[in-house]
Amino acid sequence: MKLLATTNRYYLLLATLVFAVGSVILYYGIGWALRVEVDEQLVNNKTLLLSRIRHTNRLPANSLGNELAVTPGPLPTQLRDTVFFDPVERGQVPYRQLSFPAEAQGTRQWITLRKSLLETEDMLGVVLTVMLAVLSLLLLSLVLLNQWLAQWVWQPFQLTLKGLRSYDLQRQQPLVLAATTNIDEFTELNQALSQMSERLTADYQSLKDFTENAAHETQTPLAIMRAKLEQLLQADELRPATAQLVGDLYGATVRLSRLHQALTLLSKIENRQFPDAVPLALDKVVENKLHLLQDFVDDKQLRVERVVAGQPLLRMHPALAESMVGNLLQNAIKHNQRGGLLTWTLTHDYLAISNTGPVLAGEPNRFFERFRKLNVTSDSPGLGLSIVEQICRYYGYTVSYSFRPANALHTLRVQFQAKPQG
Amino acid sequence: MKLLIVEDEQALRSSLVGYLRHDGYVCETADDYAQAHAKIKLYQYDCVLVDLTLPDGNGLDLVRTLKADNSRSGVLIISARASLDDKVLGLELGADDYLVKPFHLAELNARLKAIIRRRQFQGQHHLLFRDLSVFPEQALVLVRDEPLTLTRKEYDLLLFLLANPNRVLTKESIAEHLWGDDADTADSFDFIYTHLKNLRKKLQEKGVDNYIRTIYGMGYKLSTE
Repeated sequence: MKLLATTNRYYLLLATLVFAVGSVILYYGIGWALRVEVDEQLVNNKTLLLSRIRHTNRLPANSLGNELAVTPGPLPTQLRDTVFFDPVERGQVPYRQLSFPAEAQGTRQWITLRKSLLETEDMLGVVLTVMLAVLSLLLLSLVLLNQWLAQWVWQPFQLTLKGLRSYDLQRQQPLVLAATTNIDEFTELNQALSQMSERLTADYQSLKDFTENAAHETQTPLAIMRAKLEQLLQADELRPATAQLVGDLYGATVRLSRLHQALTLLSKIENRQFPDAVPLALDKVVENKLHLLQDFVDDKQLRVERVVAGQPLLRMHPALAESMVGNLLQNAIKHNQRGGLLTWTLTHDYLAISNTGPVLAGEPNRFFERFRKLNVTSDSPGLGLSIVEQICRYYGYTVSYSFRPANALHTLRVQFQAKPQG
Repeated sequence: MKLLIVEDEQALRSSLVGYLRHDGYVCETADDYAQAHAKIKLYQYDCVLVDLTLPDGNGLDLVRTLKADNSRSGVLIISARASLDDKVLGLELGADDYLVKPFHLAELNARLKAIIRRRQFQGQHHLLFRDLSVFPEQALVLVRDEPLTLTRKEYDLLLFLLANPNRVLTKESIAEHLWGDDADTADSFDFIYTHLKNLRKKLQEKGVDNYIRTIYGMGYKLSTE
């Protein structure tokens, strides 16, 4: 929920509560004040009337309405509420009345003064209506004010948000935010964000430099080792036993540099250093790679079957696409049986590469772990499938392994989009 | 043939010089950018081997200088930077080839020869080795003027051997020369053995024998004796 909607909601809730309580207090307060006023008038009238009776020595006559009544009976003397039928109003009308005895010309009569409460109630109605109208006007203007604030005062915040959304670390463009805004808090926010992005850029750059330098610094001594060993191999005076040692050493440096290349590639993918994705036709990539691997396919007398049922719309870095396909194919060739089958299937949402081979021992999920080798004596570092998995993760694909015992077919499948649920 | 080797790593430089002198090249060296820049401005070389990361500059600027001067020298970049972008940039600037460290000296030698062959002779050149003559542009191999039919891989293998006569070629360098990064797809050493066996047999059928020797534990050698 939006920040303003949230504050507005509490605002309105509180205001309604205050208005309700206020209205009740106002109603009873004004009602009480008016009643006190009426009582005061009745007492004043009584004093006035008694002094007039004393002067004239005559009792007043019953008035036309219910305002004044002269009756013989004894009546209670305190102020009382009563109700009369009013033919004009066509209904019961509340009255306040005060009775007291009066003597004139030797007769003692009870005089009752009454005042209608109808006018007071009308007045109460008017006062309350005006009050409520003012209060709701106030509430409405508050809501409008908040909306205006949302548009104008929060504008720098919206701009900051827009800037952050379009920010991409890999493009190495600085995060552009307004240096000053009309609100101090937003200015501070922008400054903090700018500083953070600068730090991020610096960290990213140093990580990138480190990877590149590490590659350079390790490859150079390896290059020296290799060159020296190769020179040593050319020496005529090498005894066969020594030659064997030098040959093995040479082989080891080659393995080491291959391992190093694979690890550098993995860390480069993890550092997301392959930002340039281009649209590519995966079937062409597979065909090209298979062509390059033709010697190995022929050597194992593999039967290659292709099923292209669709073309996925992919955007990948060409080197990563080639590496992914290459590793999958190499895997399928390496672990294939002589005279076996290699199938590759491409549809618009997955690529599957299968090979025949004996049942594998072990947890299928662990095949993607680094340095996981089927044959521990193998020269290969066992990073091929890790690289495939890492590339898949980089582009949001999923890779899975399955085995069909019926035809002893191992399948590695790269799913480009998440499978629809159910 | 005169070469300039620009490499800041002394140990590697001396190996390169040692290996290439053996092939009859005149090798001059430069261990930093300033020295290299001065030398390419003063002298003419058949080929310049440039390391990209130099202590006082970028090797790519040397390539730029050579191209700006319309130099006839070939340029071979040797670099530890393996990324595609560096390779593309180097070749776009006019380098003839790009070799990633660590490399096999035999591979370097083969590439160097290919560059010089292309530059010096505009393709009108053939390789002679005892009774063999090879015309690389036509991919034609003659044994005593009789054509020899080879598969693609056998031909590549023969050319690689011819680039490094009398040198021990390790199995690893042959595998990487023939299959590049895919070399570890299978047991490529057995594979090389098969191809070599076929090549030897074809040569034998044409009456030339004992050209390719197996050096136990190390690799193979094209022998002049």
